[in-house]
Amino acid sequence: MIFVTVGNDFRGFDRLLKKMDEIAPHIPREMVIQKGYSRYLPKNIEHFDFVPMNKAIEYIQKSELVVSHAGIGTIILCKEYGIPILILPRRKAYGEHMNDHQLEIAQALEKREGENIYVVYGEDQLEEKILKVLMERTRYTPTENIGRVNLLRTIKEFIKRTLS
Amino acid sequence: MKPDKKIGLICSPGGHLIEVLRLLEAFEDYPFFFLTYKEKATSSRKNTYYMMNFAKSPFNLIFGILKIFYIFLKERPKILFSTGAEIAIPSFYIGKFLFHTKLIYLECSAQVYHPSLTGRWVYRITDLFLVQWEPLLKQYGPKAKYVGGLI
Repeated sequence: MIFVTVGNDFRGFDRLLKKMDEIAPHIPREMVIQKGYSRYLPKNIEHFDFVPMNKAIEYIQKSELVVSHAGIGTIILCKEYGIPILILPRRKAYGEHMNDHQLEIAQALEKREGENIYVVYGEDQLEEKILKVLMERTRYTPTENIGRVNLLRTIKEFIKRTLS
Repeated sequence: MKPDKKIGLICSPGGHLIEVLRLLEAFEDYPFFFLTYKEKATSSRKNTYYMMNFAKSPFNLIFGILKIFYIFLKERPKILFSTGAEIAIPSFYIGKFLFHTKLIYLECSAQVYHPSLTGRWVYRITDLFLVQWEPLLKQYGPKAKYVGGLI
């Protein structure tokens, strides 16, 4: 299954949904879309506005691939469960976000294909990239996240110092 | 559990909340409560106070400030932790100046090169200030620390 999700932003992300709807007949997988506040109603793909976070997490865990805006929540969850994720950043120029920070996230993650994080910058690249990832990917086993371990340690030390 | 050593976890729903949940282990030795916004995708969670999104109306902000004051009066947190967004600003100022809480702020991993508005607002009063991307260090002062990120 492929799960498509575009986050909480009230601006929606029609550009991604339209393209996914258009290429759906060429993708040999079942797809589900959490469209958020997007206005576009996909014709070829099952969709809903929102499900509670724990339900969305179940969709992610069941997926072979997640296609998403560059939202850090979805990226972190995919990393945690070892699910491949393909990112198309929201752009300010198209009224999809208040700034271009999703572009910065995408650029920062560009060289992480080894961890099953894939980036495209234009919706026209989606079809080719999705098919390529479905064909080629080898399952990535999530390893202990060093950044997380260090954050936990730093925060715990501070709490202990403060409260003891 | 030490009831007099409570921690308040403050964040918007979505990515900010997922970041807090990924770090929940750091707080589990102490009693804690959540303070977040009610949104369509919000699941119900125990120990949680919900507010209306400040960014959506000035009335939400005014009502929210009163509610934060009431919650802190009831819960008496000793430490506040936040990953943003702007819900942290009134919470941190009320916590710091009216309840003498210590403050931990983790800049959201969405901020790679540029500080968030919330980060800039709370930097001065925060006791432990962490960023998740190294290039962001030079955008803040010497207090900011980088030890790694969740992504």
